[in-house]
Amino acid sequence: MKNSIQFIQKTGIALAFIGGTFIFSGCNSEEFLNPVPITSISDASAFATPARILNQVNGLYNNIQSGQVYGGRFQVYHDIRGEEFLNETTNGVTGFQTWNHTLVASANEVNNLWNQVYFTINNCNLFIEGIEANKAILGNDALANNYIAEARFIRGLCYYTLLTLYSRPFADGNGSKLGVPLRLKGEKSDGGNDLARATVAETYAKVLEDLNFAETNLPANYSSALLNTTRAHKNTAIALKTRVYLSMQRYADVITETNKLVPTAAPFKAASGVAHELQADITKTFAAPHTTTESIFSMPFTDVDLPGTQNGLGSYYNPGPRGIGDFSLNLTAAGIINNAAFNAADARKKMVTVVGTKTYLNKFALGPQHLDYAPVIRYAEILLNAAEAIARTSGVNDRAIALLNAVRKRSDASKTFAAADFADTNAFISALLLERRMELLGEGFRSLDCTRLLLPIPGKANVATILPTQPDYIWPIPQGELIANKLCLPNN
Amino acid sequence: MKKLLLMLMLLLGSLATMLAQRTITGKVVDQSSKEALIGASVFVKGTSAGTVTDVDGTYSVSAPANATTLVISYTGYTSLEVELGTSNVVDVELEAGVNINEVVVVGYGTQQRRDITGTISSIKGSDLAASPVQSFDQALQGRAAGVNVSLPNGVLNNPPVFRIRGINSINLSSFPLIVLDGVPTFTGDGGNNAANNVLSNINPNDIESIEILKDAAAAAIYGSRASAGVVLITTKRGKEGKTKISYDGWAGWTSAARRFDLLNAEEYVGYKNEAARNANLPDQFFLETINGKTVDTDWYDYILQTGLSHNHGLSFSGGSSGTTYFLSLGYSNQEGMIVSNTFERLSGRLSLDHKLGKKVKIGTNMGYTTNFNAAPSTGSLPGQSFGTSGLGRIPLITAPNIPAYNADGSYNIASNNQPGRYRNLQQVGFVNPVPIIDLNSFTSEAKQLQAAVFVDVNILKGLTYRTQYGVDQLSLENISFQTPVHGDGFGTNGAATNIVNSLDRWNWQHLLTYDFSLAEKHNFSFLVGNEQQRTTSSSWGASRTVIGDPFFTTYQGNFTTIVPAGNGQGENYLLSYFGRLNYDFKKIFLMTANLRQDEYSAFAPGKKAGIFWGASAGLTLSELDFWKNSLGNAINFFRIRGSYGEVGNNNGIGDFASLSIYGSGLYGANPTTGFAQAGNTNLSWETSRKTDIGINFGLLEDRLTGEITYFQNDIDGLILNSPQAPSKGIPGNSIQTNIGSMRNTGWEFGLTGTILKKAKFSWTSNFNIAFMQNEVTALAAGNTDIFTATAGLETANITRVGQSIGSLYVVPTDGVDPATGRRVFINAKGERILYSHVVPSGQSRWTVQGTGATAPAVTVAADGKIFGPVLPTFFGAWDNTFRFHGIDLNVQVQYSGGNYVYNGTKAGLRDQRFWNNQVEVLTRWQKDGDVTNIPRPVLGDNVSNGSAFPISENVEKGDFMRIRNITLGYTLPKSLTSKINVSNVRVYGTANNAFLFTQYTGTDPEVSTNGNSNGAPGVDRNSVPMARTISVGLNVGF
Repeated sequence: MKNSIQFIQKTGIALAFIGGTFIFSGCNSEEFLNPVPITSISDASAFATPARILNQVNGLYNNIQSGQVYGGRFQVYHDIRGEEFLNETTNGVTGFQTWNHTLVASANEVNNLWNQVYFTINNCNLFIEGIEANKAILGNDALANNYIAEARFIRGLCYYTLLTLYSRPFADGNGSKLGVPLRLKGEKSDGGNDLARATVAETYAKVLEDLNFAETNLPANYSSALLNTTRAHKNTAIALKTRVYLSMQRYADVITETNKLVPTAAPFKAASGVAHELQADITKTFAAPHTTTESIFSMPFTDVDLPGTQNGLGSYYNPGPRGIGDFSLNLTAAGIINNAAFNAADARKKMVTVVGTKTYLNKFALGPQHLDYAPVIRYAEILLNAAEAIARTSGVNDRAIALLNAVRKRSDASKTFAAADFADTNAFISALLLERRMELLGEGFRSLDCTRLLLPIPGKANVATILPTQPDYIWPIPQGELIANKLCLPNN
Repeated sequence: MKKLLLMLMLLLGSLATMLAQRTITGKVVDQSSKEALIGASVFVKGTSAGTVTDVDGTYSVSAPANATTLVISYTGYTSLEVELGTSNVVDVELEAGVNINEVVVVGYGTQQRRDITGTISSIKGSDLAASPVQSFDQALQGRAAGVNVSLPNGVLNNPPVFRIRGINSINLSSFPLIVLDGVPTFTGDGGNNAANNVLSNINPNDIESIEILKDAAAAAIYGSRASAGVVLITTKRGKEGKTKISYDGWAGWTSAARRFDLLNAEEYVGYKNEAARNANLPDQFFLETINGKTVDTDWYDYILQTGLSHNHGLSFSGGSSGTTYFLSLGYSNQEGMIVSNTFERLSGRLSLDHKLGKKVKIGTNMGYTTNFNAAPSTGSLPGQSFGTSGLGRIPLITAPNIPAYNADGSYNIASNNQPGRYRNLQQVGFVNPVPIIDLNSFTSEAKQLQAAVFVDVNILKGLTYRTQYGVDQLSLENISFQTPVHGDGFGTNGAATNIVNSLDRWNWQHLLTYDFSLAEKHNFSFLVGNEQQRTTSSSWGASRTVIGDPFFTTYQGNFTTIVPAGNGQGENYLLSYFGRLNYDFKKIFLMTANLRQDEYSAFAPGKKAGIFWGASAGLTLSELDFWKNSLGNAINFFRIRGSYGEVGNNNGIGDFASLSIYGSGLYGANPTTGFAQAGNTNLSWETSRKTDIGINFGLLEDRLTGEITYFQNDIDGLILNSPQAPSKGIPGNSIQTNIGSMRNTGWEFGLTGTILKKAKFSWTSNFNIAFMQNEVTALAAGNTDIFTATAGLETANITRVGQSIGSLYVVPTDGVDPATGRRVFINAKGERILYSHVVPSGQSRWTVQGTGATAPAVTVAADGKIFGPVLPTFFGAWDNTFRFHGIDLNVQVQYSGGNYVYNGTKAGLRDQRFWNNQVEVLTRWQKDGDVTNIPRPVLGDNVSNGSAFPISENVEKGDFMRIRNITLGYTLPKSLTSKINVSNVRVYGTANNAFLFTQYTGTDPEVSTNGNSNGAPGVDRNSVPMARTISVGLNVGF
């Protein structure tokens, strides 16, 4: 009998155990089975508050600020394709194949830049669609339009970025060659991989459409110099348009756009919106806080938002311990740094560091934390864009010379260009292109200034000159795209 | 009433046998250790008379006078029949071995091996304990048919590649589920540069047995997690009897098994200058003399060593009638073949069983382990192959004509973070390994508690209830310091990163089993159960850079900046209900059926639940009378069995994989939000349909036992990263989708037997071999090929429908053009294209052989061809143990083949940048008519030998035979040990990875640079070699 009681007791305990658990699981299992992430945000609530929408706007900039694009590598690629730099580290991860023109479709830089730019484009598309659907959250249609304009500015910049590397220049066949796939809708799900490349002209048309919209709808300025430098405003869109039109050789349009930013006579200072102008000392432009009115658009960095390993401009150009020093300046006559026209007294020529027999560009001097803002558009470029367009449309005139002088004399007071210096327009253009190499060294213009004009990309060391007819004149279309997108044709 | 009848019958029976009796006594001991076997059964053949041995291993049994034979059996040992002579004292030594009658651990229970119709391999813990390894899984190599375990390289505590019946997933993990005493535990590498296989927290000395569940019938009870097979680990428990103490220790010496033969300084300078001249450059490289000696550096000298290891285990076990216990302590301290690569483990384990009356038993098992791993940057873990600081690659590529130290004793390093060039005009190395070995440190420390408590209640006869609550708490602390002086820390002026990762799991199970028989013929066993498992994870840390003072070497020192690193939080939950029925009819016909429903949190709403099942049946022909009368003498056991089932896989899926997610970041000082993951509202289980057909047999009274199995595993709904055109801008260019399918088919053969058994000499042998094929049958988005990169930089593997997973995809090459010395590439059109790295401006580097006409550049995308498979099509092992008096010798031979390996390391060894080369390059092409496979060297050429993209010149066959293990042991005679009050003493010596026979030209065809990667197996890229360990050991029992 005692045994029976014990047995019943024990069975009872056991059943209580079982019952307890099932009740327990009933209570918590639903919650446990449907966990909500606590460190990321569901897409359903991505537009839930005005603050979060603003975070998304900053997120779009953050995407192009990636070290793979305007955080450093885009500028580096365009510079090292040219003759200004010599490779010091033969490291395939830090642009060696871009430098010696041996890129293949599977190369990392070819894929990584494409991927990051299109990732940004998709984020822009999703944002544009999302904000249309959530305008009520903002409760401010003007602000919504500002935001959309920022997204479209970034998207336009993205497509232009792709055109400069992956497509034949506009000048080759007047835009009839293959551009890039035009993705204009947000993508969140499977399917729709195949999309043919638009023509170069069609892609440029989209870029201009976005930038025109941006110019109309962006605010004239923001509340701080930092924001004026790191977020797009009207003048940012205009400035980018001058570069785009220059790449298309639409010089009259370059003048139209530059006129919005550059008065007809000195002092050259933007009359409306943010008052862009050259700083008296160029080195101030490249020093903290990096937000002078000369910097129209730059990528900001902080101690906790760095370009990433092997991405920062300073990482490539600074010798140790401030950088890795992947590239030193080409000290032969081919490189701009020892070009006879580059006066020793020129402030820009002094932006170098000498280590032993090597000379390194010192424009982005901070390191090893590469906190220098990465320049995207600077007022000096606009002046030179204007000068070139004017000379190409009206010949050498006082205004063109004045613009060139504005840039030169700021850094080298000893030199004043005069009409007599130029036998003809070509001579002026040559001087101007040389000036661009001096002024914009390390800011991502060198190969662009060759390709837009269908000029050979000069060789260096044992790397041969690349002629406009050669496949290596532009980058290959990435292997990743060719595999997944059956309609995308390669470059050959 | 029934009981009374039974008693009466028994009484009558014993009365009858009492008529003529003799009493036989003796002792049963383990053959090798001579330890007493407690509880071994001793039966008189042909009668019901029998007993079990007591705590001293002694027994006493009454036998009829006419009895002829005693049958002695013991779990885990080969049963023995002893002819009775005139003596009434019969001492018996039992040999440990796979016995078809033994009890086998199965999912949520145990079964007699005879009753099992699924496919299960069992491995005794004692087979693993003496291996000089860091984790038990490393020691499973060759132990079971169809189970392929290989070490990726000689980095200490690197998780082995572990595949049960091939690769069973593409995107999720194909690592089996590891269950420790009923609680699924964590797997994988938890370390940083210091590998930290978390399974090393299980002390191999504590393992009683390992069961590997291979087919659906055996594994389906684990439902959702069974696709890649299940490994059940059972730790040791105490047995009733006086306290037994045992000590196991070994000491070992580890060194690299193979290394490359590289150019010396003089050869290097001559060869590379020839390459410079071929590139139209003046000589670039020059010999250097320091202190009157020509500099000729063998960089291996600074990287490889003979590491010394020692390992100790001490255990106590025993118990009284109500309570048994097992207590163990372990300490292991190991040095690798790479300098400053160490592994240390301190472990403790306790298990207790206690009976509360007759109906209730409670128990616990608790293990607590800390391990500490340290390693330099080996560049040999997955994702690291191309690191410029990787010690796998540095000795191969760094120029031999520069020194590690300058004449003044300082490190030879230059201001550009490269080794100093001396008189060379070119870069001559990426990193000087000596300062980074000296000054950097990477450590990974784990603390793990694995514990469970359980209650067994015997509710009614045959009906038992068990509940078990287990916890598994793993905390990992990964610490790194990179010096500002040189190497990877140079660019940030020093870096220190600390990351802590905590994984917390609880697992609660309720099991109700009911065993009963009907009419003594129909035996039933039912199981119903519920299991819940919740895992939460949290990791956090930061990186500090820009050192405040070179004095500091730890994160806690002074640095000027700090950024967050390694942050993450996750959780997952599995809720399951399951049931099993085992049925047999007189042990002739047997069957098992399983059913399980799992719900898993990571899958999409509405798609979380999956129903899995498996069934198996077997027919034991040898139990039938016709068999017994005809074949019974020769083939004492013969069974045909088959199984089929559907199981699932969720192993390795992200906690929030089905959700569309916005992530966050920073734009300058501003917070950002952005699209970070494209979810999938249909994401659900991967399912495997597994079919098994096989036979088991025993010949000559089980002197030879074996099994033959055919299996097919059809996997559907494979979760693939459905490739998205990068231009779509989907994060990661992929969306996880249940879309792929794949099939593994194969045969397994296993034979175990006693080849020779004489009084003082025996030879037992275990042979297994498996033949296996894999075919991918469907992929995402119109069967788009999947390319998987090695360390994100070199893509040599393709997964394509109709091919074996992860096959090689490379451009075919055909030697070197004898006329020009250029590499011959074969393009997609079949044209023979030559490559010249340096050509005059405007000329193409690619030309057609013979004509010299310009050809389009050869690319993998356009011209690649498949070479496969990279998974061995056959593999196995032959394990032999010889015993002579007290001497035992074990030789394990392992073999594998039928596969290709991408020897990417060879591309580096022939690369014509400044890199040093293997001596074979001296046979390069020099003049018209030279026939060689080494092209004319041109300085800077990274295309002709496969660095720019993979080429078939570097594809090699992976066939090999390896003497995996040789162990020679000696057990001291009892007469000697008893004098010092010790029950047994055995000393042994072991050579691990003793010999390798292969045509493969790399260090080892088993090298797996990408570790357990499903998509990129079979790649050997810049890994350190395999290790060879010679060890001596001692076992003592008190």
